[in-house]
Amino acid sequence: MKTRFTLLLLFLFSVHAFAQDILVSGTVVGAEDDIPIPGVNVIVKGTTRGVSTDFDGNYSINVNKGEILEFSSLGFKTVEIQIQNQTIVNVSLEPDIATLDEVVVVGYGTQKKRDLTGSIATIDAQEIEKTPTANVMQSLQGKVSGVQIVAAGAPGNSPTVRIRGLGTFGGATNVLFVVDGAFYDDIDFLNTKDIKSVNVLKDASSSAIYGVRAANGVVIIETKKGRKNAKPQIEFDSYTGVQRAQNVVKMANAEQFVTMAQESGSAPDAQFVENAMQRYGRSRINPNVPNVNTDWYEEIMRDGIIQNHSISATGGGENVAYSVGTNYFSQEGILDMKNEYERFNIRGKVEADLTDRIKVGVNSIFSNATKYEPDNAAWFRAYFAVPIMPVIDELNTEASPTRFANAQNLGYRGTQNPFPNLAYNNNLVKSRKILSNIFVELDLIKDKLKFKTSYSHNFSAFEERYVNLPYTLGNNVEIMSSIRRENNTFSNQYWDNTLTFKDTFDDHDITLMAGHSFRDEASNEFRATGQDITGIQLETSWFLDFADPESFNNNVRERGRRFYGLSFFGRLAYSFKNRYLLYGTVRYEKSTRFTKDPSGVFPSIGVGWVVSDEDFFKDNGIFDFFKLRAGWGQLGNDKVTASSGANTIDLVTAAFGDQQFSGITSTSVFTDNVWELVEEMNFGLNLTTLNRRLSMDADYFIRDTKNAIFPINIPVVNVTLNQNAGTIQNKGLELNLTWSDKISEDFSYSIGANFTSIKNKATHIDNEQGYIDSGSAEFRQRTIIGEPLLAFYGLERIGVYQNPDQVAADPFAANHPVANLQPGDLIYKDQNGDGFINADDRVVLGSFLPTFTYGGNIGMSYKNFDFSLSFSGQGGNSILNRKRGEVIFTNDTNMDADLAVNRWHGEGTSNSYPSSAGLRKGWNQQLSDFWIEDGDFFRIQNIQLAYTIPSESFVKNMPETRIYFTAERPLTLFNYNGFSPEVSNGVDRQTYPVPAVYTLGINFKI
Amino acid sequence: MKNIKVLFVLSAMAISLLLASCTQQFDTQQGQLNTDDLDYTNSDGMIAPLLGAYNVFATRGWEEPLLLSVRGDDVNAGGLGDQQPFANTDLYAYDKGYWMYNALWNGHYSDMIDLNTAIVQINRYKEFLPESELPRANQYIAEIKVLRAWLQFNVARVWENVFIYETNTPNDEIEANGVSSKAEIMQRISDLMDEAIPDLPAVRPNERQDLPGAVTRYTAYAIKALANLELQNYQGVADATGAIINSGKFMLYSDFYQLFKKPGELSDENLLEMQYSDFNSETGDTFYHLYAPYGPQNWTPSRENASSGWGFYEPSKKFIKFMLDRNETVRLETSVLFTDRGIAELEADGYTGFPNFVKNTTRDGDRINDYARAMFASGKHYLPSTQLTDGRNNYGAGKNHIVIRYAEILLMYAEALTQGASGSGLSAVQAVNLLRQRANMPALSSVTLDGVMDEKFAELALEWGIRYYDMIRLDKYGELSYDGRTFTAANEYLPYPQAQVDALPLGEESTN
Repeated sequence: MKTRFTLLLLFLFSVHAFAQDILVSGTVVGAEDDIPIPGVNVIVKGTTRGVSTDFDGNYSINVNKGEILEFSSLGFKTVEIQIQNQTIVNVSLEPDIATLDEVVVVGYGTQKKRDLTGSIATIDAQEIEKTPTANVMQSLQGKVSGVQIVAAGAPGNSPTVRIRGLGTFGGATNVLFVVDGAFYDDIDFLNTKDIKSVNVLKDASSSAIYGVRAANGVVIIETKKGRKNAKPQIEFDSYTGVQRAQNVVKMANAEQFVTMAQESGSAPDAQFVENAMQRYGRSRINPNVPNVNTDWYEEIMRDGIIQNHSISATGGGENVAYSVGTNYFSQEGILDMKNEYERFNIRGKVEADLTDRIKVGVNSIFSNATKYEPDNAAWFRAYFAVPIMPVIDELNTEASPTRFANAQNLGYRGTQNPFPNLAYNNNLVKSRKILSNIFVELDLIKDKLKFKTSYSHNFSAFEERYVNLPYTLGNNVEIMSSIRRENNTFSNQYWDNTLTFKDTFDDHDITLMAGHSFRDEASNEFRATGQDITGIQLETSWFLDFADPESFNNNVRERGRRFYGLSFFGRLAYSFKNRYLLYGTVRYEKSTRFTKDPSGVFPSIGVGWVVSDEDFFKDNGIFDFFKLRAGWGQLGNDKVTASSGANTIDLVTAAFGDQQFSGITSTSVFTDNVWELVEEMNFGLNLTTLNRRLSMDADYFIRDTKNAIFPINIPVVNVTLNQNAGTIQNKGLELNLTWSDKISEDFSYSIGANFTSIKNKATHIDNEQGYIDSGSAEFRQRTIIGEPLLAFYGLERIGVYQNPDQVAADPFAANHPVANLQPGDLIYKDQNGDGFINADDRVVLGSFLPTFTYGGNIGMSYKNFDFSLSFSGQGGNSILNRKRGEVIFTNDTNMDADLAVNRWHGEGTSNSYPSSAGLRKGWNQQLSDFWIEDGDFFRIQNIQLAYTIPSESFVKNMPETRIYFTAERPLTLFNYNGFSPEVSNGVDRQTYPVPAVYTLGINFKI
Repeated sequence: MKNIKVLFVLSAMAISLLLASCTQQFDTQQGQLNTDDLDYTNSDGMIAPLLGAYNVFATRGWEEPLLLSVRGDDVNAGGLGDQQPFANTDLYAYDKGYWMYNALWNGHYSDMIDLNTAIVQINRYKEFLPESELPRANQYIAEIKVLRAWLQFNVARVWENVFIYETNTPNDEIEANGVSSKAEIMQRISDLMDEAIPDLPAVRPNERQDLPGAVTRYTAYAIKALANLELQNYQGVADATGAIINSGKFMLYSDFYQLFKKPGELSDENLLEMQYSDFNSETGDTFYHLYAPYGPQNWTPSRENASSGWGFYEPSKKFIKFMLDRNETVRLETSVLFTDRGIAELEADGYTGFPNFVKNTTRDGDRINDYARAMFASGKHYLPSTQLTDGRNNYGAGKNHIVIRYAEILLMYAEALTQGASGSGLSAVQAVNLLRQRANMPALSSVTLDGVMDEKFAELALEWGIRYYDMIRLDKYGELSYDGRTFTAANEYLPYPQAQVDALPLGEESTN
């Protein structure tokens, strides 16, 4: 069976017929999987004679004794074998992962890694598949320098991804995902098993070709495709496991809580405890404590099952390659309510050569997902619910349908019990997403000039239904049934055309690409809320038709948007003598999103120098490869408010004599904005040394977001407008090290490590105040020039008053008579030295953005076993423990055990925590570093142990079988007093904790 | 090869075609209504900005009325536990960084801008109006100016020297005028009311057919009187209040208790009223003010499932004792919700033999249970649970908020006369006796300034800080130094909010 490669070879090599005495034949297989490799070039070294392997990896060739056969194929290390008398030469090719001839994906094309001048990280399928997750980005956590992934705990939710820091204030930070050419903000619909590679375009010179969409970073994802002339391979992969909450916050138990309540000196609090004892009896162990000890976190959590099953077939014939598959994923949440995620995917990708110059392809992914969202308020309520109240209180006869306990029955202000949230909420989001793409590729000049036109349509439909079941809880708490319905559809179409020219002559290697792209992005959002649903007990009547028609009054809204975008772009990649590299792109954009200035140009340039190819550097004995590179580029962020304020009109109502009248309001203040402009300089180097076993990549970047949109409060008119009014800078260093070695045929290992440091700050703010306030007044976050965005801003705590003399000696005691300072209150630093502690003494207390992140992995394989371990961590970030901080709103509720145990309760007991009475005083409740905690963590990210049973080991036709055990996030070490240090915005009030996952999986390949 | 050329040409054509068609799509924006899209030639739409103005006026943050009035000796902040700087403000320990100060400032000033923009909108209609319809446009503008005047009045009372905003681009005003003194502002309000009065209908607000309860000529007179009272221009007060009294249109609502409940909405006593409603429907849209801060934290309502409140607004013991000492009946019952704990406190202070309404259950059957934060709650902001619309549970849901009522007009008039102004018609004591009569209090034969102020305390306690601003106007710091507080002249005005000092040319403030 002749392959197209043979044809190609015939083209390239003229065949001379000499008398060759030995007919050598054999099979070429991959060293990793023993699968035959078709299309391997088998060439007699130094001649033009050659063949290529057929469909089954077989070849045969006539050779003279003593000649050398060279086996080469893209993606594999070349093997040379000298022929003496052998007639059968079977070869297994090692995959060539580390080679710098590897091809990487760049915008609208590919490039040899060796020629890269920018910073692109590629993560292949093998790495991705180790993580049991629904979302591919989660599997990148800790693996890529410069990329911060903050995991989302709730099933089906996407992690927060930040590439090279936070470059926008209020705009969306969504990375641009380019999935087989189509643009996405979210890739929750992709099955990780279907992904061939994830390519993170980190620096501006790499991503500038995506113009106005590129500012938050670009991630190019390729899905798996078939190979021509490949035997069909059927792969079945399945894993099942359990998720368990880690590092559960230990709450104060009933006894500790009662102690705190008594020490607070508050009579009502003592009364509430008394009420609880009257209602529920006294503990037999300690008669001063009610006979209830509820651990609310224990009550609201459960273990969740996670499972994933995929089946796929790939292969190809002479002219066609295909890859088809289906996948089912399901994940339960660890919050004990209807909280789960389920996804079913169907996928197909077919490419065909119509002629030797025309290629067509179709790619389609359909994803059908059902998500029951958690009621996150339960996380917060479980924190503050008092332990002296049970979940169910049979005495609460007014509560129905379930007799949940109500803290108001004990005298507390709120109902506290999180169970009504869990039991009476049902939040369903059905999302159906389709990606479909068709392309035609024409070879206009064989191997030189190629034209490709590609049309993609991605369509997403979200059916959302939020049901509040009716209930009463006694004490006048009555909730009426209601249903909120949302139907949101997004229809995005892209038409891309590219013309690519490639040529090599003399010392020149050039690639030129010119393209055009048209985007049409439309959305329609519909929302209606109905109340008082008839037949609410039955899910079959959870439709708005059963709602009280009057309840729709002013509760229905619809919104539609349609944006068009038009772009022209070009790319030049040029290499001279294989060592002087030049790379440049330019993109012209026009977008209807912006009315003020709808068009712009985004250029970029990169240069590189492969020093190790210079004569003076060759044979230096240290470096096998050494490249210096630099790049500059501009990117846009169009995910910002295009205009702000109101030249638009709002409909409002007013009441006159109990009649409703509709009127309008408008303010005359508005701005039209332009996109944020990111400008970045990147300097990097790549080197390999120690016989190619150690490789290192390093990058330093300065990334400025100009025209950053800030919410500018215009003081005079007191309107806050989003305006292009500042500059944000992210500056950092990225380092990747990889060491790999093979000690024997049976044992090889690799070690990788990465490190990133990032400094984020606002460098310019164009408003009167010189700062921007965010967060609520009690929990202020302020953006100040020279400081990180949204920094926590409050008083600096320097200790705790230990005795009355210390209080009396302090001028604050006299200057703040109302505060009535006592031992056990916090001492603040008087920053301006005026003797008063007030708003003027506030300073930056920390930022939720880590200043450094790191990760690493160790991989080993011994015979049929392989083992991998990865870890990750971060430091320099702070978390606002708002669970604690909300004592400012309600001070008689529960708290975590750390706070209860380590409180100040006498001279010398604590110099950091206030007393129980102090916790209830406004003086101590002001935002200070008492509430801001260290967010550093170290985590064992993933451990995988696998055993592979080669095919046909025991019986004929037995598939290759791999059994694997995975522990995802089995251990996290941190000091923060919360479940998880992963809080995407740094304010932890009701963050869904990220569980550990343990799975067992099996994989068959036929 | 030929095929390929054809294909190439075809794609090139397709691209150029598409480019041509694309360009049209770059001209429009879907899904947005711009101000320029309104048809200003259709005068039917002219009322829309006015209705928007009333929406703006009535949309008040819960903290605004609370902060305006908490410093008076009639009311306290309730206990601690939540919003402690609010409680400190009640004790005259101010915190310029406290969010409520900024929210009050912002809430008032941004609404003034919105009202000014509504005037701009009406003026755009006005350009196309026939002569005959001009008075309607002028009336609408005058109404909005009256609403704006009330907001301007409040900020001047709270901060003394503030900005005047009369356009929707006040940058220029700030640049030209800087801050104006309280006296300048009050004079300006008075002058603006003189301008507005001829454009406004000479009817009682509840007589307005188009918008019952909206602003009329007498509302403007009332605000003029308030401004002149601040100026201590007592003749001006007497003239403005006299105009209202002598119109003969206003009457005290006979049932003092119900005046503050649903029956008293749009009564003949009300001159300016924020109107709220759920339109008597169990479900659907509502236009509410958040009354919860005024409510007791724990109660057993007569109508089940009615929600209780937060306990942020507690009538002072000083006020209750003052009322008990005067043998007040309906005015005390209307002003205060008692708890057993509160009554026990009064007993501990030596009060016994309470009238029968001093108990923890209101005449409508709502029982106020003891709660941690406070001992009493405001009765004037209380809506009996039985008056709630079925299915609506919010505290005070849908109750109107009376801003200016005829009783205040009578008392301002009486004070002006005792301050030496000359009135036309009623005498000071007659005016006071009208109120006493409704309150079942014996008529007086004569009245002094102090007598009028006592009457005002009894009649208008808990309403909008009237008491506090009277006391600072008359320098009666002793009255404000009660229950352990010490009031000095330095405490009269709040410090500018820190956020405003950072942004506006307000000058240096003392650190406090």
